[in-house]
Amino acid sequence: MHTIHVTPTENPSDHPPPTLCGSGVNWLGQFQAMASECDVLIEGLSQKDALVAVKLAAIEVWRIEYKYSRYRSDNIMASINNSQGKTIEVDIETSALLNFSEQCYQLSAGLFDISSGVLRKIWHFDGSDNIPSQTDIQSTLKSIGWSKVQWSSPTLCLKHKMELDLGGIGKEYAVDKVKQSIDLLAASLPSFAFLINFGGDLACSGTRLNGQNWEVAVESIKKSDSVDAKVNLNNGAIATSGDSQRYLEKDGIRYSHILNPKTGMSVANAPRSISVAANTCMQAGMLSTIAMLQGADAEAFLDAQEVQYWIQRK
Amino acid sequence: MQLNTEVRDKTKDKSRFQKISPALAIASIGILGANETLAKDELDRWDFDTAVLLYAEADDRVSAVEPVFSATRAFDNGETLNIKLAYDTLTGASPNGATPSKQKQIFTRPSGKGKSTIASGESPLDDTFKDSRVALALNWTAPINREWEYSTGLYGSKEFDYLSLGGNASIKHYFNQKNSAINFGISFSSDQVEPKGGTPIALAEMAHKSDDDFKDTHKKTREDDSNSKTIQEGMIGLTQVINRQTIMQFNAGFSYTSGYLTDPFKLLSVIGSDKSDSDYGANFQDTNSNNIYLYEARPDSKLRHSFYWQTKYSVSNGDMIDSSYRFMIDDWGINSHTLDFRYRWYFTLNKERDSYLEPHLRYYSQSAADFYQRYIDSDDYQLGDPNFSFASADERLSDMNAVTLGLKYGWRYQEGKEVNIKLEYYSQSHSGKKGIGSLSNQELYPGTKAVMLAIGYSF
Repeated sequence: MHTIHVTPTENPSDHPPPTLCGSGVNWLGQFQAMASECDVLIEGLSQKDALVAVKLAAIEVWRIEYKYSRYRSDNIMASINNSQGKTIEVDIETSALLNFSEQCYQLSAGLFDISSGVLRKIWHFDGSDNIPSQTDIQSTLKSIGWSKVQWSSPTLCLKHKMELDLGGIGKEYAVDKVKQSIDLLAASLPSFAFLINFGGDLACSGTRLNGQNWEVAVESIKKSDSVDAKVNLNNGAIATSGDSQRYLEKDGIRYSHILNPKTGMSVANAPRSISVAANTCMQAGMLSTIAMLQGADAEAFLDAQEVQYWIQRK
Repeated sequence: MQLNTEVRDKTKDKSRFQKISPALAIASIGILGANETLAKDELDRWDFDTAVLLYAEADDRVSAVEPVFSATRAFDNGETLNIKLAYDTLTGASPNGATPSKQKQIFTRPSGKGKSTIASGESPLDDTFKDSRVALALNWTAPINREWEYSTGLYGSKEFDYLSLGGNASIKHYFNQKNSAINFGISFSSDQVEPKGGTPIALAEMAHKSDDDFKDTHKKTREDDSNSKTIQEGMIGLTQVINRQTIMQFNAGFSYTSGYLTDPFKLLSVIGSDKSDSDYGANFQDTNSNNIYLYEARPDSKLRHSFYWQTKYSVSNGDMIDSSYRFMIDDWGINSHTLDFRYRWYFTLNKERDSYLEPHLRYYSQSAADFYQRYIDSDDYQLGDPNFSFASADERLSDMNAVTLGLKYGWRYQEGKEVNIKLEYYSQSHSGKKGIGSLSNQELYPGTKAVMLAIGYSF
């Protein structure tokens, strides 16, 4: 195993350095980011070139994580969320992400809303029966709603108490960006194939070098006997939404951690997890997220999208 | 787990939902192109730097206006092409090398057409100094692989009486995980000078307009051919990342210039040096009672070595300190030291750290060339002292100290777009042998003071 040297500037959140294992032309690069284990599988490169590709991947994901993390006080999200009603101007990348979020808000008729993060302040998915009161929900809803945000790229004005959170698209964005970076690198390298998997959000460059599909284990189609079910992937991306471990339960009703930004309530009958295949990871991620918000209608929604998907219900 | 196994009327269900996946696909592709070269159109691949530089010396001496335009295009595989175009206009007067005098002085213009009269006690200036220069430089840099990079360029500039053409090539090797880089460069240039009215013969006496046979005597001081010089340079450089904050650069280089290195517009005064004589300290005169001025003469080659050390330090708050030291030594006897210091202080105007103020301090000191003489003693002149087979009174070859004080303000009002303004004050002082007799009352080393204003725009 080879540890890849990174400078503190390249690793602003101080993660352990990336590692590379493998031999010949088959490599697995690993590092941590966005609370996930991130894998980069590479075929066809020398160790030296694989090291470059994995380092590039890690630096890019860490850059995005650092820039858009809601836990930091020194990044663009902090500037946005502390703007307190003042108009601020954002950079080109943030501007593009906000435009994308706005389109998703419109396409999902308000179900996907990056201003809904404040609901976390009243909903604590700790497995208890601690359901927030209607009073709390109603007062929190006043600070939610993308339509209340004044956004005209690149200027943004957020009302008092409102907050934005790009966590819902950050990892998918990172997957697509890394894929794009490695694709650019490919211009100066011999032909190679790669698959990136950041905790269930994944994308590949195409088929493997031998022309076969990548076999990917997708959590949503894991068999009950815990044997991974395999999905064949030969282009595009897969994103997974859902996390079976986070819920509240009261009076026999299970409240999923999927929250409807319009009602402030937990979405009833939300699937345990949804995986969607699409051209880009952002597209796949958005479809799985919006499907999740449809609750019992998730399948119907996804059928209408005419995409390949896998749903796990309990 | 459930894979669409439930029996339901899919068609009916589906119809409740709009198909949004194509719109999402377009939106997601749109965002991925947001700051990538992939989706950039041709204009976005170019970076432009424009600046106008205004330079003015005190006492209405030289002033210059220089617009500069630079365009850089980045290619997908890491190549860059840079095109730089500059045009400058100089007007005003510059010292012609002769000493001031208690008497008025009359100089024949370098072209042989017309004369200029300098009042007593005034610094003799060549007031025909007016020139325009246009310069074009092309540079191409490209990676060979991840560890090697080469760069090559062509340069040309043209003035009224001057043409310069040159080329350069360098190769750079990165190693130690790109924390180090070594750079080898060579350059060559060839210059042609064709002064109006011919090139003065070294140490010839300036002909006076008042001479009866001026045309003949003036012609005898001239050669007709244009004169050329070539410059060959070599450089080795090392760039080293010291730590997260510090990067250092060391360069060592040589430059060999050969050919016509004399300034055809510069003169030397011959000063009476016989203490017992009545003209002690005054301009030495010929049989027609005209002051004797000699055209200067410089060696036909110069070998110079230079050493350069630069440190850039990024302060924890993101401010930048840039300091450098350069030492040069040449076989004309000029040793020079340059110290340069800049501090870039970032602050917030509208957006986080979108502005900076950058104070600049530069100190320069040099020793005189071996053949520099403020004036020639009449004894030496009469003896034809071999010591003055070369002689120049060009103040740029004297013992010199210079200080530059500057302040630059820059505002990055949008990503990749910056306007900046820089104001600099420059003061240069010279020293050398003192005046004798009546010349001791004259200001032989008046020095130069100048201000420079530069306005730049990058986009």
